[in-house]
Amino acid sequence: MSLFGTSAGFGSGTTGVFGSNAADTHNPMKDVEVTSPPDDSISCLSFSPPTMPGNFLIGGSWANDVRCWEVQDNGQTVPKAQQMHTGPVLDICWSDDGSKVFTASCDKTAKMWDLNSNQAIQMAQHDAPIRTIHWIKAPNYNCVMTGSWDKTLKFWDTRSANPMMSLQMPERCYCADVVYPMAVVATAERGLIVYQLENQPSEFRRLESPLKHQHRCVAIFKDKQSKPTGFALGSIEGRVAIHYINPPNPAKDNFTFKCHRSNGTNTTTPQDIFAVNAISFHPVHGTLATVGSDGRFSFWDKDARTKLKTSEQLDQPITACCFNHNGNIFAYSSSYDWSKGHEYYNPQKKNYIFLRNAAEELKPRNKK
Amino acid sequence: MEEYDAEWEYSKENIQPLRQGRSASALQQALTQQQEGSHTTLNLKKQSFESELRLYNGDDPLDVWVRYIKWTKQTYPQGGKESNLSVLLERAVMRFTADEKYQNDVRYVELWIEFVESCSDPMDVFRYMQAQGIGTMQAIFYIAWAEEYEKRGNMKMANSVFQDGIKCGAEPSERLHSFHRALQARVCRQMMSSIADHQKGEEKELDEPQRSSLTELKAKGKKKNTIPFNRANASLGYARGLQFKQPLGPKQNSRLMVFDDNKAENEPQEPKFEVWTAPPTARAKENEEKPVKWSNVKLPLRPRPGLSVVAPPSRSSFQPFVEEDDQPPAVTPCKINPAVNSVLSTRKPSRLEALTPMKKLQESQTMLMQLQTVAEDGKSREQSMYCRELLYSGASEFCFEELRAERYRQKLDLEKRRGQEH
Repeated sequence: MSLFGTSAGFGSGTTGVFGSNAADTHNPMKDVEVTSPPDDSISCLSFSPPTMPGNFLIGGSWANDVRCWEVQDNGQTVPKAQQMHTGPVLDICWSDDGSKVFTASCDKTAKMWDLNSNQAIQMAQHDAPIRTIHWIKAPNYNCVMTGSWDKTLKFWDTRSANPMMSLQMPERCYCADVVYPMAVVATAERGLIVYQLENQPSEFRRLESPLKHQHRCVAIFKDKQSKPTGFALGSIEGRVAIHYINPPNPAKDNFTFKCHRSNGTNTTTPQDIFAVNAISFHPVHGTLATVGSDGRFSFWDKDARTKLKTSEQLDQPITACCFNHNGNIFAYSSSYDWSKGHEYYNPQKKNYIFLRNAAEELKPRNKK
Repeated sequence: MEEYDAEWEYSKENIQPLRQGRSASALQQALTQQQEGSHTTLNLKKQSFESELRLYNGDDPLDVWVRYIKWTKQTYPQGGKESNLSVLLERAVMRFTADEKYQNDVRYVELWIEFVESCSDPMDVFRYMQAQGIGTMQAIFYIAWAEEYEKRGNMKMANSVFQDGIKCGAEPSERLHSFHRALQARVCRQMMSSIADHQKGEEKELDEPQRSSLTELKAKGKKKNTIPFNRANASLGYARGLQFKQPLGPKQNSRLMVFDDNKAENEPQEPKFEVWTAPPTARAKENEEKPVKWSNVKLPLRPRPGLSVVAPPSRSSFQPFVEEDDQPPAVTPCKINPAVNSVLSTRKPSRLEALTPMKKLQESQTMLMQLQTVAEDGKSREQSMYCRELLYSGASEFCFEELRAERYRQKLDLEKRRGQEH
């Protein structure tokens, strides 16, 4: 039985009476802490779009709430507003003009939150918790795409109570991403579907998964002309696949890499493998960030196929991450992701959101 | 009453019979639901079972599996892939193999017996069960095993199975004895009728061999071994007391019907000496194995009755090597084959699907144990830092959020109910 405040026995260990080594592992990178973080695990983070002046951060949590902070240039964070659902919030997104925030919840509904009036109304309904929500801006239509555990993908014109389209999926939606005109959805049982959104959303292709384990997170990346050209897919076993939709040479261009594992070089002890909880691409450099159950974040250059940086280990898993619109700020949240079931859940443990300056660290490596 | 339109009347042939019979109302409901395509209620119920499997923390986890499987059978009368019945059976059976308290639990033994029916080699499974001590105190185990022997015409082994059961003191013993007596009665009848036919056959041979219809064509010449036909059902035919004019197998051996030579070779006389450490080949799977590189895959030999066949490889008594880590041996980054060429893809789609059925059983068994890390050769390689068994418990997988959402929902329900009580 350890006296130094680790898991069993003497409490959660953050405010260790029994030793100072537990004191600062909640923020080993010494990043800016967002004030008034949510009271339970943070499920999603999103920064405001470039159409809005300034930087506003939205975070949804398992405490059923969505919070909004203003991030000022000096690094100060000011809590601005909050909305509630009747169930944990699983995903959020901004409208393209930054006036609305859409929130998806376990209560099977999605809400549209008008920030100016601070009113939120329900605009979507599913038969099971809604796992993903994305705003689609097309030349001839705008809509909100919701993916749910009821195996459907629905598209909502916010003015009507009925979806304008509903697409059936082979399995429950686990994660999705949208960069017009492409959308990717990863489902349970390693399903992977690409949709094309021109004129109206339709299924483009069903892909065989490049990964062998459960899909956990997905993010679309763009080419030099800012057109979506592929996606990064993360699994629960420390691996990310980079997949191009129409590469000149699929065998060479597509690849997977290991991440969020421990004891890399030490072959005597088993290598611990952690889930990849989220992936985000830097809006300017095209490099990517991954965050994992191991409590670390890593930056990668997919073109040079190298790792740029790995953080120190936080004392909790990192559950979500995002970049702001110009890529100067990287936000990541530290809270329990339920990767080991409810036994390891400590409701007393604090949850954090950190902000880090990302301008320099994510510059791509020069190809030799 | 004539106006009552029983849905099942129209799909009789699609409904798999259950030993204990089907509830008419459940059948009716299941079929209409499937007709109307109202999958949501079905899905919800399935989801609730899946959640219960994962969140159960009582003393009797087997109960959840038993109820889930029972519901599945009632709701999907046609069986088939959609019901996931075979997956559930396999998982339930594998889950509790090491659990001593269930070894002779009649519910668990019944699950095994059902599972056996979908296996490619039931005999292997029965032998495995006996070696592990599963069902050895239950009469149904011996009855099912003996029935299997009887189906193949091996009365001697069937009899010896019953004797085993009686020796072990399996319960309920009355049932065991009565089935045993029934078997013995069938054997007697069989012998009697085959003697009678043999005599008739001798008379016929004295006459000019005229072509007579509806009798067996006699083997000419010295050749004594003819391939028997009517194998599977003839013995049952005898069992029902019908007397066929056609004796089973070569006439010359009709006295020795019980020792069906073609089958006896398949069942080595003393299989019980082998200690079964590995669970045998699993159910015959259709359409589930994706195309993979063939150099790594071993196909289990299916013993065909009627041919003398070497025992299938799954009978080996050593623990076959199972690679813990079968990911492509690449250093970061590793290249993979594209999805474009998916038909001929050499990627192993998933760890489990790429293994032979037996390896798969071993693998899933290890998976279901707590964060098992050590591979067969003693070297530990990788350890997944998440609750594998919670995610993969039932017929389908869960993600972390689903687990958590389920717990949240249950807590909410509990609070609601408490609120209503006050």
